[in-house]
This record gives sequence, C-alpha cells and structure tokens, in this order.
Amino acid sequence: MNRPRDTEAKRCVFIAGESPLAEEYASACVGAGMEVAVRFNAGSGGKLPAGAVRRARAGKKDTLGIELTNTSRETKRKNLADMDRALPSGTPILSASAATTVAEQSAWVRAPERLIGIAALPSLLQGTLVEIAPSLPAGRQAIEASQRFFRELGKETSVVQDSPGMVLPRILCMLVNEASFALGEGIARRGDIDTAMTLGTNYPLGPLAWGMKIGLEQVRAVLEGLRREFGEERYRTAPLLSRGTLEGSAERSAGAPPTHSQKQRGNRP
Amino acid sequence: MKKTVGIIGAGTMGGGIAQVAALAGFDVLLHDVSGDALKASMERIKGDLRKSMQTGRATASDATGALTRIRPRREFNDLGAADVVIEAAVEDLEVKKEIFRALDQIVAPRAILATNTSSLSITSIGSLTKTPESVVGMHFFNPPAQMKLVEIVRGSQTSDETVRTVYEMALAMGKTPVFCSDTPGFIVNRVARPFYGEALRLLGEGTATAEQIDRIVRLSGGFRMGPFELMDMIGIDVNYAVTKSVYEQFFHEPRFRPHPIQRRMVEAGTLGRKTGLGFYRYE
Repeated sequence: MNRPRDTEAKRCVFIAGESPLAEEYASACVGAGMEVAVRFNAGSGGKLPAGAVRRARAGKKDTLGIELTNTSRETKRKNLADMDRALPSGTPILSASAATTVAEQSAWVRAPERLIGIAALPSLLQGTLVEIAPSLPAGRQAIEASQRFFRELGKETSVVQDSPGMVLPRILCMLVNEASFALGEGIARRGDIDTAMTLGTNYPLGPLAWGMKIGLEQVRAVLEGLRREFGEERYRTAPLLSRGTLEGSAERSAGAPPTHSQKQRGNRP
Repeated sequence: MKKTVGIIGAGTMGGGIAQVAALAGFDVLLHDVSGDALKASMERIKGDLRKSMQTGRATASDATGALTRIRPRREFNDLGAADVVIEAAVEDLEVKKEIFRALDQIVAPRAILATNTSSLSITSIGSLTKTPESVVGMHFFNPPAQMKLVEIVRGSQTSDETVRTVYEMALAMGKTPVFCSDTPGFIVNRVARPFYGEALRLLGEGTATAEQIDRIVRLSGGFRMGPFELMDMIGIDVNYAVTKSVYEQFFHEPRFRPHPIQRRMVEAGTLGRKTGLGFYRYE
C-alpha cells in the first residue's frame, strides 16, 4: 500500500510551464513512453508534442508533477500551489530552479518534502546529465523518485546543493552575460566573439549563439535570480541583455577595419 | 604580401608561430638571446614537422621547405630585415617595452610590429615607437600549430592597413583571425572568466564538488572539459595571473574578482598537472 506512486506501471506526468521548456520535457517524456498532460502558461505560446494532451490541472492519477517556469515568479508560485493542492501526497514535484532557489519555492507549497529543484533551461535536456537540488526537507523517496524519472529519460543525475542558478545555468548565463557586455562595448563583432570562444577555448557553441538558443529572457531570469540572492554588483545584467536583443551594436566594432563599402560611404563628399 | 617574418622569443609560442609561418611560405628569422633556447626550439619544430609528415598533415617537401625557411638568429639587429616582427617574449611589460624601443631603431619605417601578448595593452606598447600606427596585437593560442584562432588587436593608433596586413597574414597561415579592440583580456581571456570564476565560487560555497561541477559542465553542457580540469591543465598560477590582470585592468570590476581558492593553491604550490596536484591528483 505504501508503494511510491511513481513506480506504477505507466507513469503519468503533469507538466505546467512556459515554452519552449515545457515542450522539451513533454516530448522527452512522450519519447520514453510516459503519459503526458501539459498546461502552457498563459501567453507563453507552446506547441503540444504528438502524443501529449492538454489539461488544465494536475489530477489524482498523476504520478509526477513538473513545473517549468523560470521567467515569472508569480506564475511559478501559482503553478506550484495548484500542483501541490491537486497531486496526492507523496507524489514528487520537480521544479525548474535555474532562476529561483528551491528554498524560496518551498515556502509556496504545503508539502516541500516532495519538492526537487532541477536545472532546467531550454536546450539543456539535450545533455546526458541533469542536476537536481532537493528541498531542505526532501526525503530519500522524493530524491530517488526523481532520479528514477530521469533514468527513464536516459539521463543520469547529479545531486547539488540548492543555490541560485545551480551549477550549469549559473556558469552558462554568466558567460552569455560577459559576452553581451563585450558586444555592447563594441570590443568585437558578434560573430567574432562566438568564433573566438569556440576556437580559442573549445566551447561547443559561442556564448552569444548559446544565449539565443536558451532565450535571452531565460538568461536574464537566471542573472536576476543570482542578483536577488547575492545582492552583488557582479551579477548585474549586461545592458544589451536587458534591452532584450543582441542586435544593434553588433557591427559597430572598434577592432575591425572598415569594410570597403563603409569606406566608400565615408569618403563621399 | 609581406615576406619576411621576424619572431622574438623561441619559447613554445615563438617556436610554434615560426613553424606555422614557415609552413605558410614566409621566410622566418627566429630570434632569442639564448643559443640553447634557439637550439631546443629548432629541435621541437623538427620533431613536430616530422609528426605532421607521419600523420599526413604536411608533405615531406612542405616540411623540409619550412625547415629551411626558418633561420635561427641570436643577433637582435638581424631582425632589421623583417617586414613583420611578431614579438613572443615573456609576458612582462618592461621587457616588451625594451624590445619595442629597440625594434623601433632597426626595422624599416613601413615594417609592422606585432605582439603576441595575451594581457598587455597594445596601445601602451605602441606608444614607445615612432610608428604606433604599425603596432598591432597578434594573439596566437597555445599550441600555435594546432589552434586555429588568432585575435588581431587594434591599439588606439593602429592603422587600418596594419590591421588588414596581419589579418591576411593570419589567413595565409591557415588561421581564423578575429578582430578585437585593445581592451583587457581581449575576447577570449575576458569572456572566459566566468567559466572559472563562477565554478570557483560554486566550489567555495559548497554547492557541489569540483568533480561534480566538471561532470555537469561536460555531460549537461557539452563542454569538452570542465573548469577544474581545465584550470589544472592551464596551470592554476597562469589562470590566476590572467584573472588578476583582467581584474586590475578593469579597475576592480567585481565580475572579474579572483577567488581565494586560486590564491591559496598558488601559495601552496599545487598548480595543477605540472606539479602533480591541483584540483585533482595526477600520477
């Protein structure tokens, strides 16, 4: 009778959150043969992957809840509270914790012992490992359940301490931030910054292209989370990121000589 | 195209650049004050070219041709014949200043003076010469024979012509040049700072262990190496020096602040792979 709910024959996952994170998790779950119901946040768009269904709220039959909102604390809080009410006790809730600490989220639910933070940012599920950060009161059962879930998706897990941005989102978003500062200051062209980082340090992707892939709004949310938690100048968002675009100053670089056409324009009387 | 390249300093960088330039068909004058250093460098280049032949990266005639095009020179004044000089001496502003002052006396007025500095100001080095418009940064990465990137750094007085010439030279050497203005750390050494800085903070805060962080960065992020493995490979002292230099040159911008863990490891002499102990132990 006390069998953990997530070991039942067919896993039923309820996902609430923003696009594209919710799609990525939903299609991975469908791909692993799970039953998936999704509710996209209002206004976030989102395309339902084949095999998943839309549902307004979590239900008694669900064996796992996943909340995937990084960019709005208000929406996240509401989604978590809804899940917490609707899911039977003992059903684990995984929650994107790249922008908000698990400790903070624990105050938003009645049963924080089933809350497990995950380092969820768009595109990171392409990797073979997922970082998880259990809430302070989380029991072994919730931790093991989330590890089992990721194993079913073909991912290993690494258990880290609850900290804003966890490990990879923090490092990655700070790289994007620094590249955005550099671009905004016009030290080099956008393509040159990415080329330099992939060739000079063997990064798999240039930080600016990576920022676009993750989504600048997501990057900003992670940086704001770090700033809120640590209160340090170090974590302030680069002006270009705040503006929400990497366009603009991209071709105004002090380093490159003027191109032929620019020179001609300049010489025109 | 400029034909004769003078290279100052026969260390890993200077020797590597000489090899790349000679393979691209440039005549190379490789200068070092130490005859032993020159001899050792020529041996390294020979060995590396031999390996390139065995692996098919260079033909026998390419390799022997390249070797005959590199002339080791102990006499500084011989560099006067160079169209382009690439300075790859130790990373010390005083030493570089002295070299550029001396170069200014011996090279042709239209010669280009490039420096392979990774952290010093091109503008400051250029200011010591009569022709600051001809002074430019040409930052190769280690090892130069393998690494494709060259940062071309423009000082505040560097001319478009100088920048274009070294850009074309880098292309001729089979490199991928990028342009950058003269700012601390240029592109790579600046933008890469958070990779180490945030990892050190995560470790210091106890969020995860060094092994865990490396594993997460590799398996979740797709990076080839994690920050701690990479710091061990680069050398904790070298990485700390770069961080400190960027931090100081940016007037103590908090984003670049070094971490006490780095300093402690430098003080302890646990500098990574080269000492057998860093964040990991090496047998």
